[in-house]
Amino acid sequence: MHEVQKNDRSLWEVVGDYFRANSIWMKWYCTGCGAIEMPPTMTSRFDMEQLGMGPMATPRQADVLLITGYLSTKTLRRVIYSYEQMQDPKYVVGFGSCTLNGGIYYDSYATINQLDKYLPVDLYIAGCMPRPEAIMNSFGELIEMIKKGEAKGWKHYKENHEWYKANQMDSLGEVIIHDEFHE
Amino acid sequence: MTMIFIFLGLSLLLSYVLSRKQPTLGAYFTIIASLAGLISVYLLRNSVGVTESFYYLNFQITTIGWYFAMILLTVYFTSAFFNPFWMDELIYPAAYNSLYLLSLVGTIGLFFAQDLMTLFICWETAVWSSMLIVQQGKSRQAAWVYFVISAIGSMSTLFAVLLTMYLSGTSEITGALTYFTTAPVAGALVFGAFILAGLTKIGIFPFHVWLPLAHGSAPHTFSPVLSGGLVKMGAYIAYLSVAVFPAYQVFGDSLKIQGVPLPIYGLMILGAASIVYGTLRAIQQEDAKRLLAYSSVANGGYILIGILMMDQMAFAGGLMHLLNHAVASAAAFLAIAAVAKRTGTTKMSELGGIIHRMPITYTVYLIAIISMAGIPPMGGFVSKWLIFQGLSEKGLILLATAAAFGSIGSYMYVFRPLSAVFLGQLAPKYEHIKEANPVMVTAMLILTAMSLLLGVLPNLVLKTIAKIQIELGINPIIVNGTATLTENGSVDMLQVFTVFGFGFLLILILFMVLPKSRRVGLMDTYTSAEFIHTPELLHYGHSFYAPFERLYEKWPSVLPLYKRMSMKLSELGEWAESFFFHPDPNRAVLWIVVVAIVVIIGGAQ
Amino acid sequence: MTLMNFIYGFLAVLGAFVFQTSLTGINRKVTARLQKRRGPKWYQQFIDIFKAFSKSSITHGWVYDFGAIMALGGIAATVIFIPVAGMQAFPGLDNIFVISYVLAVGMLGMAMSAAGSGNPWASIGVSRALTNMLAYDIPFMVVVFTLIYQHNTGSVSELASIQQGVGILGWNFFKLPLGGIVSVIALFGMLGKKPFDSFIAPAEIASGPMVEYGGKQLGMMFTLHELMTFIEVSLILNLFFGGGETLLIYMVKYAILYTFTNIVSGVMPRFKIDQAVTFFYKVPLGLAFIQGLLVIYLGWGY
Ligand code: SF4
Repeated sequence: MHEVQKNDRSLWEVVGDYFRANSIWMKWYCTGCGAIEMPPTMTSRFDMEQLGMGPMATPRQADVLLITGYLSTKTLRRVIYSYEQMQDPKYVVGFGSCTLNGGIYYDSYATINQLDKYLPVDLYIAGCMPRPEAIMNSFGELIEMIKKGEAKGWKHYKENHEWYKANQMDSLGEVIIHDEFHE
Repeated sequence: MTMIFIFLGLSLLLSYVLSRKQPTLGAYFTIIASLAGLISVYLLRNSVGVTESFYYLNFQITTIGWYFAMILLTVYFTSAFFNPFWMDELIYPAAYNSLYLLSLVGTIGLFFAQDLMTLFICWETAVWSSMLIVQQGKSRQAAWVYFVISAIGSMSTLFAVLLTMYLSGTSEITGALTYFTTAPVAGALVFGAFILAGLTKIGIFPFHVWLPLAHGSAPHTFSPVLSGGLVKMGAYIAYLSVAVFPAYQVFGDSLKIQGVPLPIYGLMILGAASIVYGTLRAIQQEDAKRLLAYSSVANGGYILIGILMMDQMAFAGGLMHLLNHAVASAAAFLAIAAVAKRTGTTKMSELGGIIHRMPITYTVYLIAIISMAGIPPMGGFVSKWLIFQGLSEKGLILLATAAAFGSIGSYMYVFRPLSAVFLGQLAPKYEHIKEANPVMVTAMLILTAMSLLLGVLPNLVLKTIAKIQIELGINPIIVNGTATLTENGSVDMLQVFTVFGFGFLLILILFMVLPKSRRVGLMDTYTSAEFIHTPELLHYGHSFYAPFERLYEKWPSVLPLYKRMSMKLSELGEWAESFFFHPDPNRAVLWIVVVAIVVIIGGAQ
Repeated sequence: MTLMNFIYGFLAVLGAFVFQTSLTGINRKVTARLQKRRGPKWYQQFIDIFKAFSKSSITHGWVYDFGAIMALGGIAATVIFIPVAGMQAFPGLDNIFVISYVLAVGMLGMAMSAAGSGNPWASIGVSRALTNMLAYDIPFMVVVFTLIYQHNTGSVSELASIQQGVGILGWNFFKLPLGGIVSVIALFGMLGKKPFDSFIAPAEIASGPMVEYGGKQLGMMFTLHELMTFIEVSLILNLFFGGGETLLIYMVKYAILYTFTNIVSGVMPRFKIDQAVTFFYKVPLGLAFIQGLLVIYLGWGY
């Protein structure tokens, strides 16, 4: 597994990163309990729009994929599908300890334990579940990272595609399609 | 001019003979014959006023007749390109080819007819020959309905012709019809009879029933002719009955609404009703050809309103809309026919994604519908704009509203085949179809180029229309270079087109400067992260406007009324028949006796 | 037509874009204040659009791109036709029907591109958008016909200048109050503001026509939305609020009108599409007809 080393960005990328840092559109995948912390973060108490952030309807439009909590293997396939439909540059934020190390579901047969084996996570937010303050704080962090060009998980995913795919296949296995509704 | 008719008559015989030997050859011959007709009629443009006789038939070249004939010939010529490829699907290809040319002869004769009898004979020729062609299509019933409704038109024409000849003592059209300035009561009757024929042929509500049936089930190659061409015969009759026949004088004493006599206003309301009705029904259709047929009903409404207005703007608009609609509707029908040739269906929900296999056909359809919906820079815009300006200048707000409804509503129905047939997911069974063959493509491209040309330089046609207006003694439409001027507005389509091109160019540059896009498959779309493997399930082609259709699906239709009428009629026939042809021999004997007595008494006197 | 015309036209498009985009940004702040939030920076909308341009993108075939270009090109051309405070890049091309139909080129392009993506939600969104258009345009057209009949001209700039010079009572909004109300309601429909925004319902049909756009095509769609807003608000402003004697007055009036629609839509729920049609055909169409009959048959409103 090789690391992404280069950090000399072209001017186009520097300017682009400035825009991308100040306008973060999210696609959040409400996989687990954490999703409930998003509404207060969006509405008048914390108001994430002041950072230029907002929810978006489809992965095509979004910049950030938010995995809000535990991820069952069944959902993982959908999450990967969505991630691959997003436009570069794209970022992944793992939300809560479940994405970090499995959390209280660490020994479940149905969930994955470590999100970054399957998708390139740029930022984790620890906590079970993280409160809006923590979320706002970490988004501040994410913005800084994007501005500096440090959030390059998407490049990492491209360059280590086989490694990610192998991990994904490992946990998902191959699917045989019978008809439209049965796999 | 007689030469043209003789030539076409001979060539129809020749095409019959050729088709008996080799159907495709005869079909190719129809292209040549109609092209020859087109060129020779075009050459007549400077010989307005010439009269010629051919046995009992008398013809005269008029500007309006020339204009109509050119429209018809264009449609016949371009549709003929499709004939060779449908020969194996027809039962009687030889008959088809010769009838195709015969109906052409009939319609052109109608436009050049100088006397009323010629008019009637040509009318009948066109109606009968086209009826026999429709019969070769999908449904016999359609041909019957077409025949019955045309018969209403024929009968009322015959009535009007005979009455006019009897009253005025002459059969020359202009002379006979202007006679009624002095006899308004009889004039009203003749007007009613004539316009009835026009209405049935244009397919104005409530006489529209034949149109979707006949257009929907006629052979694919003949639908464009029906919709783009033959419907215009009705428009010519409407023109005769309002412009040559002094309708505005005859009804001069009646109640006027914004300066329009009530009977004419009533006809316009019928036109408005067919715009609204055609639009609403077109939105509902599931079959592309039927949808286009209903759109012809709606467009017929515009043409009727325009012609009836007899003013500077709307009249010009109506006459120009004739041409625009003929070209656009023929192109749309041909595009659908090309798709049907490759896929074997015209049902929209069964198609989809055809653009990825037939891009040229798609472009042709796109330009046709842009013109049909009246969006610049295509021809349809200019004519609709003129009609709008004319209606709002006179303050005919109800008609203007209907016209606006038909115009915006047309975006809905023309987009439907665009989206369901050409765009969307490509079903695997159409994975290997090919673009329409070059001969068909040529025909479609000719029509497309015409639509565009009419939109950018409408004055080419408006000049001719201005000539017609001057002949009629109404204020002509003013053309100045590329600008079209009216009393309450002006437009310069060339400039509009240039500005549009400029905008397009700006954005094209922007698009090119930005990074290139990556091509992904059609099935790689957002599905809420659900995996879908069947393209047909991802195609939205059925009940496209369901929420809107729900609002009026329960509205009464006129069809049951007609059904009941036809039932009553056949019962009447049976009842009458039962008198004469009863199984009981006593009855037959009784009738024989009665007839014998009548004959004897009659003979005795 | 000289080169100058084209340069003015280009500047008009650019100016309209900058002005309307800033205004959208400010209005995002206004909406935020309505909801007791702080809201984004006033230039947030620019950042969003440029960000979309800076991202990578996909295409679903040539019609997907061609439709997007045709849409934005058509809309840009329409902006050039719009008279702003008596100024026009191409004088004499501001007939109201020309403007409203050139606008349709853009809409058709967008619909084509959206349906060309192969996503059924996009088609559903387009079908709703077209239905919505049929709903709001008819009452508006009735009012337009009345205006043309009354003033005997179809040119937008002439209709605007007729209203100027006699204070605000000269505005058609006060001379033809029913028609004015109808057209402001129709403006909500044109802009796709609540309650008439069911065609871009984000949760129900994943933002409708916009569903497949990402990257530069999304940026183009956002730009298109800004320009379209400019056209529609300008149209109502010119027809009913007297346009503007000078550019500054025009901009102030424009800002007030746009902010008004935004504030009202901020507290509105959403109509289903058939409800929107029924609403438009009951209330505004009725009002428009009453207005029309009053003007045409009773001569009121002169
Ligand atoms: S981290 Fe805690 S709150 Fe979040 S999904 Fe896991 S268990 Fe639920």
